[in-house]
Amino acid sequence: MRIPVPTLIDGVERALLEAVLPELRSRSARGQLYAAVDVLRNLRDRIAPRPELLEAEAVSLARSLELCAEQLQEVGAAEAASQLRSRLGTAGSGPALERLTALRESFELALTLVDALPEAAASPAQAALGEHLASQALRSVSVLKPSLLGEISRG
Amino acid sequence: MNDELARRLERFLAHRIPEVRCLRVVALESPSEGFSQETFCFEVETERDGERHRRGYVAKREPVAGLLEPYDLEPEFRVLHALCDVPCVPAAHWFEADGAVLERPFYVMDRLEGEVPIPAAGPGGAGPFSEAERKALGPQVIETLTRLHAIDWRSRGFGFLDPPAPGREAAQRELERWTRRIVQSRLPAGPVVREALLWLHRNVPCSPEVTLVHGDFRLGNWLVVREGGGARLTGVLDWEMVHLGDPFEDVAWCISPMWRAGTPYAAALLPDTEFLECYGRVARRALDPARLHFYAVLSVVKMIAIELTGLRTFLDQRTRDLRMAIFEHQIPFLEALLAALRGWLAPDRPGGV
Repeated sequence: MRIPVPTLIDGVERALLEAVLPELRSRSARGQLYAAVDVLRNLRDRIAPRPELLEAEAVSLARSLELCAEQLQEVGAAEAASQLRSRLGTAGSGPALERLTALRESFELALTLVDALPEAAASPAQAALGEHLASQALRSVSVLKPSLLGEISRG
Repeated sequence: MNDELARRLERFLAHRIPEVRCLRVVALESPSEGFSQETFCFEVETERDGERHRRGYVAKREPVAGLLEPYDLEPEFRVLHALCDVPCVPAAHWFEADGAVLERPFYVMDRLEGEVPIPAAGPGGAGPFSEAERKALGPQVIETLTRLHAIDWRSRGFGFLDPPAPGREAAQRELERWTRRIVQSRLPAGPVVREALLWLHRNVPCSPEVTLVHGDFRLGNWLVVREGGGARLTGVLDWEMVHLGDPFEDVAWCISPMWRAGTPYAAALLPDTEFLECYGRVARRALDPARLHFYAVLSVVKMIAIELTGLRTFLDQRTRDLRMAIFEHQIPFLEALLAALRGWLAPDRPGGV
């Protein structure tokens, strides 16, 4: 999430009160809108991230990075492999969120290390990283509801 | 608000069209609120030789905040003004940089006939066009794009668009432009975007020629008239990203899976191969799959950069437009598409892109 949930809900509340409410003439509709705002205000600080999603991302990152380090070793990029393993070692413990942050940073490092290799040598390590990119992309999409962009555009 | 806007436009236009009398701005409306520039459609009613005449115009105004900020409307106005003789290009007449007139810079252009089919599946998942409309519209879209790419930009005086040198500069510039936008958003790009950027940097293609590039030539920016069971392309809109560069940039953007409206067709019109074959034939331009693939990947990165910019305007509270916040939920779909284009994910798995 790039926008924290409380910020998102604040924005919804602002749009409802400032952009929608002034256009509403029906008392009943205004009542419903105020009720929606009331619900949102009280939900704002009660929503927590789903830990199983963060854990799944961390597991996927760790597996992908281990495999990447192995592939780097195999193609003779020993220094890159060692650098990555060392970074992975420091990410291995600590609170879940800190570990996830460290693994994400390790992934950035892995991308840079692999990018510096000649194409043929880079390919197996890239594929290892690609596994995480694919699974994370699917995970991110799987929690979303079908987009209403079409209806939003039509107005 | 609209009355006040209409009076301001009347005063502005009275100075620009001094030969007419009793100029009135009527039927002023903001038909669909765009995600970027503000659009106002209106008619100008005048009296000439005792008769009343009406003519449709569109004013495009710089927004307070938007997806393509920072804004500079003047280059696109100059391009549109110079292309007034080209079919499907709305003739732009007046540009006003002084914010005293309409609070922010704006320009006024002709209103063309037609409606804008949007790039989203309709009820029941159907695309925006019938079979007959697709068949009629597909070749027209390609011919129009080809015509834009064939414009002699030197003789039209488009040097102010800062032409890139033939070679890698066109692609390099666009890659830098959108990378910079991502950085300027100060929002994290996902690892799939990071990987794609590294790949793009390693694979910058050479462009043998520099042409005019619309920059946003796609379903959603076309005016269409449906008639007699078929359809007619009447206008190409939204020239905010016009520049000089590689024509394949427009082609890749146009056929991107982002604008298929739930259909399997490029721009909801034609199968990819047919679209490309037709473009290559009409434009007499050899297709270069590697170059096209570079721009296909860059297209999705560009869209992510645009959406990150929208999220930034929302986060900074420079807009109360809640539509900017929905990009939070659009970007994962784009990232999945990017993963598919890079070969990490099977193409049929991006999940509703």
